[in-house]
Amino acid sequence: MTLGYRPGDGLLHRTHPFTTASLAGAVSVLVFVLPGVLAPWGLVAGLCVLAAVSGLLPVLGTAAAFSAPFWGFLILIHGVFRDDLGTAVVLAGRISAMLTVFLLLLASVHPGRLVDAMLERGAPFGLAYLFGATLQAVPQLQRRAAAILDAQRCRGLRVRGSLVRRARAVIPLAVPLVLGALAEVDERALALEIRGAGSGARRTPLDPPRDGAVGRLVRWFLLAAVTGAVLWRLLS
Amino acid sequence: MARLSSRLLALIPLAVGINLALGKFASATSLPLFLDTVGTVLVAALVGPAAAVVTGLVSQTAFTIVDGKLMWMAFLPVQLGIALYAGLAARYRMFASPLRAVASGLGLGVIAATLSWPISLLLFGGVTASGVTLVTTALTAVGVPLRWAVYGASLSSDLLDKAVTFLLVYVVLEALPRRMAVRFPAADRSRGRA
Repeated sequence: MTLGYRPGDGLLHRTHPFTTASLAGAVSVLVFVLPGVLAPWGLVAGLCVLAAVSGLLPVLGTAAAFSAPFWGFLILIHGVFRDDLGTAVVLAGRISAMLTVFLLLLASVHPGRLVDAMLERGAPFGLAYLFGATLQAVPQLQRRAAAILDAQRCRGLRVRGSLVRRARAVIPLAVPLVLGALAEVDERALALEIRGAGSGARRTPLDPPRDGAVGRLVRWFLLAAVTGAVLWRLLS
Repeated sequence: MARLSSRLLALIPLAVGINLALGKFASATSLPLFLDTVGTVLVAALVGPAAAVVTGLVSQTAFTIVDGKLMWMAFLPVQLGIALYAGLAARYRMFASPLRAVASGLGLGVIAATLSWPISLLLFGGVTASGVTLVTTALTAVGVPLRWAVYGASLSSDLLDKAVTFLLVYVVLEALPRRMAVRFPAADRSRGRA
């Protein structure tokens, strides 16, 4: 399964991060606003074509694998128990479209490029830092949690077996993990001060993503499509 | 966006990392808990509700990105509700004893379930493909109407999870060395020592 950024130079990789993010936002709204079975599945079909022309076909496999449990539960709850297969198909289409567009976004937009694009548009340094530092901190703390668990196992902690035994492992993991993280706060805060995080001055990214007229046009089109669809649903 | 202090900028990514690391542990060991708001509740207890709201916002975004499922962003109001409630609980010294922590955790369980079930029901037909959905499926199978099945499933998981989360934060606050606690403005008040 493919999750996360995949290097490449396809259509979506060349697109400005804001355009791809706008597409994800527009699809997420349109699947709920447009009525019927055809709309969400039509969007899924369109996203499959976009994945193919962008060289991101493996992402579709991940989207299908992520969607499958949802389809299973939807068919069971709505199709079997409530005898309403139509609702299950519509909801499955919505969820599949949202999963596919977001996985395409993750596969084609490197987080660093998105941060650069945000900084170029004048986003505060704090916002950009939170985004980047969080994505770095997550795997770092997951590795640390695994190391703490290994160390506690060496001291006799058992994390398998009954529910009570597994639940007992939470405190020996959580307390060192949290205290270790809190001990790191001062060091990180000092590093941020040295980098001038508190100055509020606007940062200039070294190599911001290029934004062309076509990208801007696509974003305006997406905004018009979403606004039009919402108004049409409200007035009809 | 108001400018965040360097200390808060340093703390929030670590709190989000704690949310996701403990959430992954709970999921990997098949515990009937989420444990994915421990960092948010901790920030509420150490700094206050506003910082906890930012942590909740960043946490839900990070969780959505790491898990690759955009629909989790729909549950953002739940994270924000948890952050605000935890901030208020800390202000009223609810981490002063284990009993108070568990009681306020149970209160949060009711609030979290009440916030999450309409999102789950109206947007996704009650299906989130997690352990909660298994309970929803079982309740629907025995004839419980879908809306109550979704609420019952959310409530059963949230009550336990939030009580354990608050208890865990109480344990961490008790274990917090004095020299570390003084660096966080709300820590002593949350622990009932100010």
